[in-house]
Amino acid sequence: MKPPLYTIRSLVHAYDGGPPVLAIERLSVAAGSILGLVGPNGSGKSTLLKLLAFVEKPTRGEIRFKDRPAAPFSDAVRFQVTLLTQEPYLMRRSVHANVAYGLKLRGRSRDCRPQVAAALSLVGLAAERFADRKWYQLSGGEAQRVSLAARLALQPEALLLDEPTASVDAASAELIKAAVIRARDQWGTTLVIASHDRQWLYEICDDSLHLFRGRILESGADNLLFGPWQPGPSGFWHKPLAGGGVLRVPPPPDDQAVGVLDTRAVSLTAPGAASPQGLNTLDGVVSRLVLEKNTRRIVATISVGLLALTVKLDPERLQALHLYPGKAVRIHFAPQAVAWCDPA
Amino acid sequence: MKRFVIFLLAALLIGGSGAWAEEKILMMATTTSTDDTGLLDYLAPEFQKDTGIVLRWVATGTGKALKLGENCDADVLLVHAPDAEEKFVAAGFGINRREIMYNDFVIIGPADDPAGIRGQGVGVALAAIKSKTAVFVSRGDKSGTHQKELELWQAAGLPIPDKEAWYVQTGQGMLATINLAAERNGYTMTDRGSYIKYEANLNGNPPLKILVEMDAVLLNQYSVIAVNPARCPKAQLELATAFSDWMAGERGQGLIGGFKLLEKQLFTPNAQ
Amino acid sequence: MDFLLGGFVTAIQLLLTGDSETYSAVFATVRVSGYSMAASLALGVPGGFFLGHFDFRGKRQVRLVVDTLLALPTVLIGLLVYAFLSQRGPLGEWGLLFTLPGIAIGQTFLALPVVVALTATAVEAMDRHLRTTLITLGVSRTQLLLSILWEGRLGILAAAATAYGRVTTEVGVSMMVGGNIKWLTRTMTTAIALETNKGQFAMGVALGLVLMAIAFVVNFSVFFLRRR
Repeated sequence: MKPPLYTIRSLVHAYDGGPPVLAIERLSVAAGSILGLVGPNGSGKSTLLKLLAFVEKPTRGEIRFKDRPAAPFSDAVRFQVTLLTQEPYLMRRSVHANVAYGLKLRGRSRDCRPQVAAALSLVGLAAERFADRKWYQLSGGEAQRVSLAARLALQPEALLLDEPTASVDAASAELIKAAVIRARDQWGTTLVIASHDRQWLYEICDDSLHLFRGRILESGADNLLFGPWQPGPSGFWHKPLAGGGVLRVPPPPDDQAVGVLDTRAVSLTAPGAASPQGLNTLDGVVSRLVLEKNTRRIVATISVGLLALTVKLDPERLQALHLYPGKAVRIHFAPQAVAWCDPA
Repeated sequence: MKRFVIFLLAALLIGGSGAWAEEKILMMATTTSTDDTGLLDYLAPEFQKDTGIVLRWVATGTGKALKLGENCDADVLLVHAPDAEEKFVAAGFGINRREIMYNDFVIIGPADDPAGIRGQGVGVALAAIKSKTAVFVSRGDKSGTHQKELELWQAAGLPIPDKEAWYVQTGQGMLATINLAAERNGYTMTDRGSYIKYEANLNGNPPLKILVEMDAVLLNQYSVIAVNPARCPKAQLELATAFSDWMAGERGQGLIGGFKLLEKQLFTPNAQ
Repeated sequence: MDFLLGGFVTAIQLLLTGDSETYSAVFATVRVSGYSMAASLALGVPGGFFLGHFDFRGKRQVRLVVDTLLALPTVLIGLLVYAFLSQRGPLGEWGLLFTLPGIAIGQTFLALPVVVALTATAVEAMDRHLRTTLITLGVSRTQLLLSILWEGRLGILAAAATAYGRVTTEVGVSMMVGGNIKWLTRTMTTAIALETNKGQFAMGVALGLVLMAIAFVVNFSVFFLRRR
């Protein structure tokens, strides 16, 4: 078996002596895999990507690349790893010069026109129309795609993407997906991709990682329950939901604490089904069904008022319940299934 | 880029030292009047022709010219403030002071002469200006001309004005001061050469006219002083002496007497 | 008022007839400002870059000092440089008093704070994503600095143009350190001061117009370079 491309141990990162924004005890990324990063804003996704790109040095702990220690500017990673940041910067040069810049650094600038053109076409930009444009002659989405082309042209071993589809239209998102898969299949590139677009992400990822407040949540812990919580009867705490219904949870560490609910603890039934004693019973509507690529399971998103909960189902269960987006369902879960995040 | 910088540095070094290498150059500190009138532009080429020495000068007020000599930044001085010069020599800053020539000062003022000084002696004129509180514009810059003016107030037995509203101190050169006096419709004292220049600038019809002249106290003696090499090891006494001898000699004296500005003689040679 | 029009006519005449005094002053100005710009850019751009790009203890204090030095009066610089270059001064041995390189030293002190402050501002104002982008593309440390400098070239160009304006128009240093020696250290500005002192306003206006023309050429070139 190939060694993992990245191995992280006891990593803690903080900016300028502030509180830690990222704390990862252990993580490895398999070579040639596509890893998705999900989590709310500020959960540490961008920080993790920057550390994996060796743009910054972690405050504590180490990141090994191909089982060797690596640091910013070190030769072991400089030409192997590249990151497309959320707000990419185009240098004040032509599109061609921007895409060729990394090639030039690698001493591959001779006759790089075809390579640049190929990279541009991977992101759906015709070289003859775009190569000679100046940086200020591009729309936001075009700039994003040129930046991606500049990374693809390098055929990197590790390609890290931070919200690559945030400012592009649906057609471009499909192009980027195709380019990413091609990079992995043709060059064996390992990808780590952070995205809010879960559907887009789940369609290409082999595995996904849930980050919250700088920590990795256990796999399956896709549901986050936010306060404020109020003390209620029989030892539970409550939160009334918009559109009726009440969420019951075990006593939280504080009234603003965030609960994590394992998708496996949530069961789905037909509307109006009897509610077992002691469980949370919520009525909602199926809002999205997505196939999880590697497990062949169905990820269902259920809207309960303003709350969105994720449930994973076998295809057989989906059949039995006749689920389709828009269908009303009832969900149950035990209050004790809610665990509390450590305050970061 | 790198080559460009090296080129510039090289140019800087050559520019700094090369020009001084071959020629014999005499550095003189002098007063604005000798430069403004064009006297030095007229004498310097002749001096070079006769001696092979290039004369370079910084024209400034006599006060600063003496200071440059004191700081060893000149080899020779051509100045006109006898009292200050004697102090300068007595302090050991300069040697071989030699009188070369004189010009004279005049008091000028508006043609309608509000203080009524036309044709008077200097003492009477200054007293009239003070009592009528007519505007009097002074150089106020410690130049030879300014020092001369201060002597005149003293000689007239009058306190030296300073903060009086009618006494305006410009701190500028002679012609700037004359122009200011004209703007304020006031009186001022100037060397005759500067006045001739001023007259010519206004095509012979200036608002300020000569009102007081030819008083013995108005004579303005110019001297050459060599900077003392005992104090300033780099001072070129040999060249300074050559200049002093040339100026005091037949050739220099003749040229000075023959120097005319707008058909008028400016300086009278009087070397002993 | 007449002298303004007269000055304009004289300016044209002086330039067209190749008046040697005028051109001597023009070349003195061009040479001396060339020296001082080369020196202040060579020192000031790296200095300003360092100040703008790196974080270090006391950075804000250094910034405060540099910003204060922007207000250095030229006559004060002239006086200080004279004190050093005078034969009685510590650097009198160099024989730089009353020479163009001497003036250039003073003007370098004049231009340096401008170059440092404006370069630092330009570097600070650059997109914070630039650094990350360059590292992710695989630059070495040296390439990182050079590329940031190149990205900030327009700001640095503006800094140079501003400094050039300050250097070519100053009188204090040129007069004090240069001594306004004809054919040698008489620059455009000291010539203007002299002519004005002599009451020859038209000549002063003429030289002023020539100076403006030089400034125009410089800024016109910068304007073209800046057109992205």
